[in-house]
Amino acid sequence: MIHIENLVKRYGDLVALNHLNLDIHEGEIFGLLGPNGSGKTTAINCLLSLLKYDKGTIEIFGQPMTPDNYQAKQQIGIVLQNVAVFDELTVYENIDYFCGLYVSDKKKRKKLVDDAIRFVGLEDYCKMYPKKLSGGLLRRLNIACGIAHKPRLIIMDEPTVAVDPQSRNKILEGIQKLNVQGSTIIYTSHYMEEIEQICTRIAIMDHGRVIASGTSEELKKMIKTGETITVEAIFLEEKHLQDIRSLPHVFDLHYENQILILRCTGAQHNLIRLLNYLQSQDITFGRVFSELPTLNDVFLEITGKQLRD
Amino acid sequence: MTVFKCYMKILKKNIGLISIYLIIFFSTAMILQASAKKEHLEDFEKTRINLAIADQDDSTLSHALTKYLKTIHNVYRISAEPTVMQEELFYRNAEYIVQIPKDFYKTCIVDENPLSVTKVPGSYSSFYVDQQINAWLNSIRTYTAAGFSQKEAAAAALEQSVSEVTMYHDEETAVETPGYTYYFRYIPFLFLAVLCYSMGYILLAFRKEDIQKRMLASAISTRRQNLEGLLAMFTISLLLWLIAVVGAGVMYGKELLTSKVLGYYLLNTFLMLTIALSLAYLIGLFMKNINMLNGISNIISLGICFLSGVFVPMNIMDKKVLMVAQFLPVYWYENVNETLSRYHVVSGKVAVDIWKSMGIEVMFTFALLALILAVSKYKRQG
Repeated sequence: MIHIENLVKRYGDLVALNHLNLDIHEGEIFGLLGPNGSGKTTAINCLLSLLKYDKGTIEIFGQPMTPDNYQAKQQIGIVLQNVAVFDELTVYENIDYFCGLYVSDKKKRKKLVDDAIRFVGLEDYCKMYPKKLSGGLLRRLNIACGIAHKPRLIIMDEPTVAVDPQSRNKILEGIQKLNVQGSTIIYTSHYMEEIEQICTRIAIMDHGRVIASGTSEELKKMIKTGETITVEAIFLEEKHLQDIRSLPHVFDLHYENQILILRCTGAQHNLIRLLNYLQSQDITFGRVFSELPTLNDVFLEITGKQLRD
Repeated sequence: MTVFKCYMKILKKNIGLISIYLIIFFSTAMILQASAKKEHLEDFEKTRINLAIADQDDSTLSHALTKYLKTIHNVYRISAEPTVMQEELFYRNAEYIVQIPKDFYKTCIVDENPLSVTKVPGSYSSFYVDQQINAWLNSIRTYTAAGFSQKEAAAAALEQSVSEVTMYHDEETAVETPGYTYYFRYIPFLFLAVLCYSMGYILLAFRKEDIQKRMLASAISTRRQNLEGLLAMFTISLLLWLIAVVGAGVMYGKELLTSKVLGYYLLNTFLMLTIALSLAYLIGLFMKNINMLNGISNIISLGICFLSGVFVPMNIMDKKVLMVAQFLPVYWYENVNETLSRYHVVSGKVAVDIWKSMGIEVMFTFALLALILAVSKYKRQG
């Protein structure tokens, strides 16, 4: 559905997109994950022809994407990071206006607007002005404005920023519902949990290029970390650290402020082996966690820095 | 026409403020019209009062005095009965009563006794009548002292009193200023205030970065969006112009509708409208928030109007201020307006002056449009 090849975008000396390559298929919820400034929003703006780019090609629905490709634009809906609605119009008028930019038939539009209102659960707020809505409701209105015309492709640029957990869950559920109804979704975020939760395929971006892509499982398999063990309130001497480091499958150890973080490969019984050692040395400790690898681990291993840095 | 309708919906939010501006404008126009009606070119014309004469002498001189006073006032005769005179004054049939005594010539001319008069207390007109009678008596005394008979003196005094003052009428004062001149003088303020605020308000709403992004990513072309926006702005302005013109028609009726310079007034206000619209759009491009818009639109509309002779007539404005005002478009609008107020018919050099000023107004509009294009391009690239 979308083919991006060798996309380069520069802001003066800063390279925002560095030979970006992406393929997105119909029916996917495609997650673009990356820290702030990694080039996610720039890529989206280029994709929508809102930004001119220096090099590369973008194809949507098999056609080159240009500012005047209104046939393609007709099939795209966008939900932006900031709430983009008119404060002067009511909830209903806002959705009707943005839907009207795609659908001119009044009858058809009315049905679409009513559907969108029902979909985001704003039935009781139709006559209210945006300023009277809570943050969560505003986000839902923002989404309704972008999806009312039932687009084939929906691009969502960090739609859950500054949203409370309850509203966030509702939004994520809604996105999955839209996908089930037939829309392909591009979802950008720097919240890896969200991406992991809803996306069928993920591309991790850093410094304007994709550093890894695949399903969540595929990405995790790419890295060495199979398990991360954390032990709190533990006092260890250098001798103990050397012993732990030499335990089977342990490839990384970090000890600071009486907290031990151990990275192991994907083998079994890592935790039991560690606990047995601590017991044999009569070492007391506080809480113990064992976590499976996250996308943050993927990012950390590939770039050497945390996703949230 | 999605964008067009959205402009109108956003405008509707400002209808209260626009109504206030319209009410202020029409109220001011009505007050000015009322005060303008009281102004007459011949404001030195003597006031005619109701004056009663109780003539007990019935002589040549008493008749002459009556005749003289008739040239100035509404004179009628009454009997010298005190009750009659009291009644005339009580019912305000007369404001001033002159009692001409028997042997008027000897009593008042020779012996110089004052003429007995009764007047309404506090009447300022009576003071003038006192002076007029004294002046006549003095003239009679002078003529009789010079050897004139009573009849000759009476005739000479009358002739002297009715001699007319010839007033010099220059071209500029040939026509009494019509009431609607004041109405049209204030129109730039209405246009500038309403359009700067309402256009700025609409542009503020549409120029939010994310709304622009949504619109650019939509299926309606940017060209069509811009055209619909411009059409909406032009429609709003045209409505304002129609309200102003219909308002003038209602307030001044036949006086305006039969005016031979009506076409010039309409064209001039239309040109003013295009200037106000362009200026409003240009200002709207720089507005960041509603508070800024409120302040700037008031400063611009009031400032330009004060400098360009909207609130203060040009003929009493300082020449240096007028020199500066020439760089403002409203000055040229007011220039045409002032010229039109002085002529019933426009022809020759006057027509050339008017067309020249209107041409400058058009040039101002084009200059503003060029600025709008330049600023818009700069902002797009920025």
